[in-house]
Amino acid sequence: MARKDYAGSRYHMRRKLAEFGLCAVLCPVTIISAAGVTNTGTTDTANPTTAGTPDVAPPSMLTFGAFGTLGVVHSDQPLADFTSTRVESVGAGHTDPWSASVDSLVGAQGNAQITPQFSAVLQVISEQNSDSSFSPHIEWAFLKYQITPDFFVRLGRTALDAFLLADSRNVGFTYAWVRPPVELYDLVPSTNSDGIDFNYRFEVGGGSNTVDAAVGYNSYQYPIANTRNTATADSHEQLALVDTFQRGSATFRLTYGQAHITVPTLEPLFDAFREFGAQGVGIADRFDVNDRIVAYYGLSGSYEPGDWFLMAELGRTNYHSVLGEATGWYVSSGRRFGKVTPYATYAQTRPNVGTRAAGLDLSGLPPAQAAEAGALNAGLNATLATIASQRTLSLGARFDVTSSIDLKLQWDRTNLGANSEGWLTNVQPGFPFGSSYTLVSVTLDFVF
Amino acid sequence: MNLSTRIAIVLLAIGPTLAGAFASADVVAVVSAKSAIKALTQEQVADIFLGRVSRFPNGLVAVPIDLRDGSPERDQFYAKIAGKTPAQVKAYWSKIIFTGRGQPPRAVPTDLDMKKFIADNDTAIGYIDSALLDSSVRAL
Repeated sequence: MARKDYAGSRYHMRRKLAEFGLCAVLCPVTIISAAGVTNTGTTDTANPTTAGTPDVAPPSMLTFGAFGTLGVVHSDQPLADFTSTRVESVGAGHTDPWSASVDSLVGAQGNAQITPQFSAVLQVISEQNSDSSFSPHIEWAFLKYQITPDFFVRLGRTALDAFLLADSRNVGFTYAWVRPPVELYDLVPSTNSDGIDFNYRFEVGGGSNTVDAAVGYNSYQYPIANTRNTATADSHEQLALVDTFQRGSATFRLTYGQAHITVPTLEPLFDAFREFGAQGVGIADRFDVNDRIVAYYGLSGSYEPGDWFLMAELGRTNYHSVLGEATGWYVSSGRRFGKVTPYATYAQTRPNVGTRAAGLDLSGLPPAQAAEAGALNAGLNATLATIASQRTLSLGARFDVTSSIDLKLQWDRTNLGANSEGWLTNVQPGFPFGSSYTLVSVTLDFVF
Repeated sequence: MNLSTRIAIVLLAIGPTLAGAFASADVVAVVSAKSAIKALTQEQVADIFLGRVSRFPNGLVAVPIDLRDGSPERDQFYAKIAGKTPAQVKAYWSKIIFTGRGQPPRAVPTDLDMKKFIADNDTAIGYIDSALLDSSVRAL
């Protein structure tokens, strides 16, 4: 009987799958840590001491910093919630027309320079968790050993570096938008990874190239839609490779990640399929998410000469399972006029595979079995339907209030793909699949 | 063409401007008179101050020195070498600091402190008002 529930709980199932699945899958994929981005600052190690010159503050052993975002967002779609990450439980729209819990967060970071080569970083963030609380969690905690000025290794919890802004996505002050486009960034919803990574930089082609290789493990909580419950996703044997080339104001990056994903909550559905003979086993083997290898490929670039910026990112996930394949991308540009930077972004997520499957052949089955098989087919298709399809035009402006505080206003218009709920969550009965919605957001970012 | 598309086009098209606003800075990059470095391009200076490279082109370790946050020479310097406003410089370093990847250059309080420090350290590189140039430092 339980099997029939799959058809009935379409909304729950859609979400579960999505949250579990997508998260689970994609996230892991990339463990990247690449610090790629630019390389590494003038770092720690590079500074030989300047003994004897009293005027410069000596490098301090402990440094602290803080960052945060206070924001509200309004959605005109009351039958589902907009969230800025797939880890958030509630958002704007259904739960609250105006939500302060979508974009708001506060973070603090401590750096300890133990020796010239050896340092430690701890970052704690308070943001909306999968259970909708704001209890602080440890975002990063790692030891770093700088073997040479251009080569370091980190051990511990580091950023999951799938995207151009992956390791700074929580620090709104560092980019123009209110939030990174969900069309791409929701493909890999988790932001950190426990493991080890190696980062090596060298000069080439008039610029600097950074290679980062990471292995790790990731386990995180995600919300189950329309409940206040959470579940845990695990991914192991994560591998990530990131290559970042930077020359002047231009940055290019290539990313590859993979992981073994298991989504235990999907197994009952496929166990039920397996009871329907060879055909059912075939369907289960094709679609189940039991130790599946998932992959992520990313390509991105940015050009930021100072008065304007142009950036674009393209990412693709392949779960080799019911979680499907999807492509996400965006192009964004803005120009600074004094303290004000207006910008525009166009972003899209689209499935690369069909979001329907024929499922079990019902002909020839006795009525009771046919009904059950039909319910399983519906469950399978409800899951496939959670593969997001949407596109968004965003227009906004950033105003630099001081050199460490900004104020942003952003308008987003999202069109959902046919029969899709896109990246929305907590979808309610009567939700208009394939419709459009509009967001208005105001945020204030700071760093100290 | 719908309204939102038109707005986007207008935003992107609005144009020219501010580009030349920071053109004439009196601030120059300097190294010690004892340094082996004779000249650097603006891009090389920017790479060092933005932490993109850790060494001078000749392979020696480079130690960039900043003036304190908020000093006019500092703002002028970053506008000149990287086209960045103070908020953009702060955003740039926030990205690196809050990813645990590095720290910005160490800072001295005044331009005279800067000159003295640079003069005394042949691995250091800084910037001062060109009116303060003398034989202890070399403008790049």
